[in-house]
Amino acid sequence: MQLKHSKYIWIFGLLGTAFIILAPIVLLVSSPTEAKTSAWDFVDQDRRHTSHATLITGEFTTGSEVTQTCLTCHEDASHEVMGTAHWNWKGEPVLVNDNTEPIAIGKANLFNNFCIGIQSNWAGCTRCHAGYGWTDANFDFTNTENVDCLVCHDQSGTYVKTTGGQPAEGVNLLVAAQSVGTPSRMNCGYCHFNGGGGQGVKHGDLDESLYYPSEEIDVHMGQYNFLCVDCHKTDDHQILGRSISVSVDNKNQLYCTDCHQDTIHTDERINSHTDALACQTCHIPLGAVQEPTKMTWDWSTAGQDLGDDPHTYLKIKGSFHYESGIVPEYAWFDGTVDRYLMGDVFDPTQVLDMNPIHGSIDDPDSLIYPFKVHRGKQPYDTIYNYLLQPQTAGEGGYWTTFDWNNALERGSELSGLPYSGSYGFAETRMNWVLSHMVAPKEQALQCTDCHSEGGRMDWEALGYEGDPMYWGGR
Amino acid sequence: MFRISRRYIMAYTLWVMGMAFLVLGATIALGSEETPEPTPTAPVGDPSPLHPVFTFLDADGNAVITANTPISTLKTCGTCHDVEFIRTHGEHTDGATDRNLTIENLIFDSQEASSVEMNCFLCHIPNPNNAARLSTLENGQTDWASTATLLDTGFVVQSEAGFAWDTTKFTTEGELLPDVVTIQDPTNDNCAACHGVVHTQARDPLVFSPCSSDESEWTTLSTGQIVSPQKILNSGMNIEGKAELSRTWDVHAERVVDCVDCHYAQNNPVYYTEQDANKPDHLIFDPRRMDFGDYLYRPLHEFANEDDMRGCENCHDALNTHTWLQYTERHLAVLACETCHIPQLYAPAIQTIDYTGGTPATDCRGVEAGDGTPANTFITGYEPVLLPRTDENGMTKLAPYNLVTAWFWAYGENGDPVPLADVEKAKATGVNMTEALKTLGYADARILGETRPFQISHSVGSSAWAIKDCQTCHHPDSRLTTSIALGNTPTGETPQFISDGRASLSGDITQTDGLLLYTPQTQSDVLTLYVFGHSSASFVDVIGTLMFFGVVVGVFGHSTLRFIASRKLPPAHHPRKRVYMYSVYERQWHWLQTAVIFGLIFTGLIIHKPDIFGIFSFPFMVEVHNILAIILVVNAFLSLFYHVVSGEIQQFLPQPHGFFGQAISQAKYYLGGIFKHEEHPFQKSPEHKMNPLQQVTYLMILNVLLPLQIITGVLMWGLQRFPDLATSLGGLPLLAPFHTLVAWSFASFIVMHVYLTTTAGHHPLAGIESMITGWDEIESHEETSPKPTGNEPPSENVPPMATEPTAS
Repeated sequence: MQLKHSKYIWIFGLLGTAFIILAPIVLLVSSPTEAKTSAWDFVDQDRRHTSHATLITGEFTTGSEVTQTCLTCHEDASHEVMGTAHWNWKGEPVLVNDNTEPIAIGKANLFNNFCIGIQSNWAGCTRCHAGYGWTDANFDFTNTENVDCLVCHDQSGTYVKTTGGQPAEGVNLLVAAQSVGTPSRMNCGYCHFNGGGGQGVKHGDLDESLYYPSEEIDVHMGQYNFLCVDCHKTDDHQILGRSISVSVDNKNQLYCTDCHQDTIHTDERINSHTDALACQTCHIPLGAVQEPTKMTWDWSTAGQDLGDDPHTYLKIKGSFHYESGIVPEYAWFDGTVDRYLMGDVFDPTQVLDMNPIHGSIDDPDSLIYPFKVHRGKQPYDTIYNYLLQPQTAGEGGYWTTFDWNNALERGSELSGLPYSGSYGFAETRMNWVLSHMVAPKEQALQCTDCHSEGGRMDWEALGYEGDPMYWGGR
Repeated sequence: MFRISRRYIMAYTLWVMGMAFLVLGATIALGSEETPEPTPTAPVGDPSPLHPVFTFLDADGNAVITANTPISTLKTCGTCHDVEFIRTHGEHTDGATDRNLTIENLIFDSQEASSVEMNCFLCHIPNPNNAARLSTLENGQTDWASTATLLDTGFVVQSEAGFAWDTTKFTTEGELLPDVVTIQDPTNDNCAACHGVVHTQARDPLVFSPCSSDESEWTTLSTGQIVSPQKILNSGMNIEGKAELSRTWDVHAERVVDCVDCHYAQNNPVYYTEQDANKPDHLIFDPRRMDFGDYLYRPLHEFANEDDMRGCENCHDALNTHTWLQYTERHLAVLACETCHIPQLYAPAIQTIDYTGGTPATDCRGVEAGDGTPANTFITGYEPVLLPRTDENGMTKLAPYNLVTAWFWAYGENGDPVPLADVEKAKATGVNMTEALKTLGYADARILGETRPFQISHSVGSSAWAIKDCQTCHHPDSRLTTSIALGNTPTGETPQFISDGRASLSGDITQTDGLLLYTPQTQSDVLTLYVFGHSSASFVDVIGTLMFFGVVVGVFGHSTLRFIASRKLPPAHHPRKRVYMYSVYERQWHWLQTAVIFGLIFTGLIIHKPDIFGIFSFPFMVEVHNILAIILVVNAFLSLFYHVVSGEIQQFLPQPHGFFGQAISQAKYYLGGIFKHEEHPFQKSPEHKMNPLQQVTYLMILNVLLPLQIITGVLMWGLQRFPDLATSLGGLPLLAPFHTLVAWSFASFIVMHVYLTTTAGHHPLAGIESMITGWDEIESHEETSPKPTGNEPPSENVPPMATEPTAS
């Protein structure tokens, strides 16, 4: 049969041509590099929020009245908030330490080595509670009208809370209510930048420099104008993120890798580090980049007239010191911790670690993380060998009487933790993961920061034979 | 809080001590009455983990603390180490450690072996005091040079009375106490003492004196190389575009590769590498090694360097990491790694040193106005010049260099340099220098200029900072030929090039208004490179252009005449009939080839002249060109197969009989008949598609031009895979222009070919239509031609098939 008489000869012609063309292309052209996921794919960049300026009218005299107004449309809002740690100051019950029964822990019932604890000091501490009126142990956690919507949603910048979480005198609640919107850095920072009684005191990576940070302080907020809630994503008022100061597990935690996926370093050697290092370790070379954070707090020297200096000594608080640009301490960390609970007996001759970190070089889930470690000295019962709860704030508290025995008795009465009448001061430490204030990539740690004489890592303390560059990794 | 490392303290102390010592020296020299401050004692380094205690001995073998004599390294270290072996097997052990090989020392000092004892401490303790050492040499206290080096250890103190050993650091027998033995392997700081700016702390901003005259920084001064793990943007210098410079000063320092990791002692068992050539076939691994003890007794102090060094390629697998780079082997064969990986130096380097005024006047490149202090000097950095460097295997590659030109007074037949002191004397007389020097005994005094190359191998950037843009070199303004200024000539003469034994010049030093400029060439006695997009044989382009536009003009003229003729004389209507002229396959291969050839010419043109077609990606065009070429070759061979098997190839073969007559009549037709709408002299038919002129043309194209183009193309492509063959045929400098010339011929042919198709049919586009549809209307010269039998050979007397093909 002659080719030219087939009706479909052109198909063969086309296929032949295509083959001649495609074969060399397939042969020569290397496969294109895989498309990478962009971190922006995981960021909700739509920040539109309905203006409430015309929706809310009327006169408000109490915060609860504002909440009632909110609830007329956002019916479930209070119930949602009431299921969160922002309201309860406790999380879901979990197994803590060696306990067999799950217990709910949080600010409400834990000690720290800053202001020690809220019990007996409710009114003072709860000015940061997302509610109204928590002044004693009898606060009604079921009253939807006690939820404070404004502390997180006010965008007027005029909303200020005071004792018991009540709006300060002079706050124009209507203006605040009409301004509501997506929580900004101001809203979160109002409490979280000021934990421990002043800005930057507690975390080492959260302070007021983050309201309007330069990119040198925080690349996410400074360069890309992130809000806290861009990463701490929120569903029905449940906000993603945990802190090992109050949580022991890592459920509902968020990670750099939630957005920064795939192989993000072009350099093989750097990528090989991700088996052992958390992102933060290299990308947060320094904590408390600009504003200083409290590094030590010794309550035992309080009560003396040594001359108050807000940087080093206050009669009501004792001696302490702040540092900025801190070089973190590094440890293996699997995301969970143990937690010192009220009434736990400890050995006062040793430094009490209030939230011992879980993790080891032998645990494949552990990574080396950077920590700010806050070292304290705080009252404990020398007979019972446990930490004590003093009443510091309010009438009769230590800050007015400077009488430890009295303060501890009052604290014991209100917290229910027996006090033998004999107190001393125990050394404690508390660990804080550094996760904010991510530096621009140019400032990330370099090889020689760790792999050199006098480098940052104490290899042997971390469990290595020596510098893993020479001795091999885990 | 930063921990301040010991090294930093030492480096700092060294600096402080050095400065103090310089001040001290100056004070003494000036005859000041002031008592110099006693030198402060610096902290001693960590005790050495392994090195045993030892006794400090003087040249007579007595403990130095008893006689308060200078230490002798030969005696002291020689107790355990074979110092004579070390002395005779090392570049740093004899004379060279006295002074740096600066231009000044090269020109004015004879490089005779030094009488100074080799100085072990300079490299083997953490805090050697080099300034103190140099000072003793200057003062003629050569015996005390090694002792002075120890000044910062606290073993010895210096006062006006001289050096005195601190007996508290020794046992009564003169043995050093264990906790102060700090003997160590050389660190970067040790090397830095003489070899330029080396900075070890990534987070302490690097500050250095731009274009200083500190001899110990000669390596940096002469090249701009700086070794530091620090990102340039974190440095303390005022550098152009600093904020964007997130690269480190040197990627090896960044990655904790120390000086001695590459420049190691060659018999160090740790670095021993087995040569494949020496390995018996039955062994995978030869476990026999020199014992560490033997090594420590006789460590070679000939450090791996240049010839014998682990070069870039000993650690880096360039082939596998450059898969993105087209013609990788070719690039690696002609370019040193440094050429792309050190594209820019970010520190100033000396351009000229003028010794004609006595006191040297130094001029640096890569730096703009400023007062010379680190804070107030604007550093622009500079692009090193590329010179051919011939390695020990005879391979010549382009590598980055700085060129330093020195001008000095010379005299006599040999052009010996006039000592600077005498130049100063002559200058002080205030009269004509030549005369003044003559009076001082220097006959025939004249100014000479010497230009020396200084190789650049450090300050490597990470891969992201390497040159990756093809057009950096593949462009008329190629990086390969970027010129470098050599400063002004004081005499109007061009300086003489003094090679370092490896580098040569491949271009000329020219001068404009006294300013000297060296411009490299890609083709010279020492270098023959044809760089696509940069090189071209201009005569080829001239010939090609003439040919191409000649054809265009010819076609234009001919068609104009045809047009005019057709208006005067309406076309004659020759009887025509429809025939099936071109089979499907013929059309397929024709049009595929058309598309491919157009593509090849287009991409080839871009590769040839990338500057004109800046919007196209050069590497992409190269890739497309190669793929198209493969398609062309495959298509050509398939077509050849078809024509041979089907016998259609006969169509292309001119018939000897009557060929010339027909060819002439065809030519006549084009020159005359066509304007009168005469019948075509050749009757086209499916069996005779081509007239004699076409046959000759295609014979030329298919048998000469196409194979030539394919062969030159393959050779050029294969230059990296089988370079010898291509090189033996003249290499790229011959092949590439040839390829270009043939390409011009193809382009010209296409114009002619397309035009002639318009003459083939009854209307201008008929020819093209027939090649698309397969059907052609041909002139029917004889109404009653007999049907061909199919057995007869085609002949001019046998009319072709005149009917449509029928289905079989």
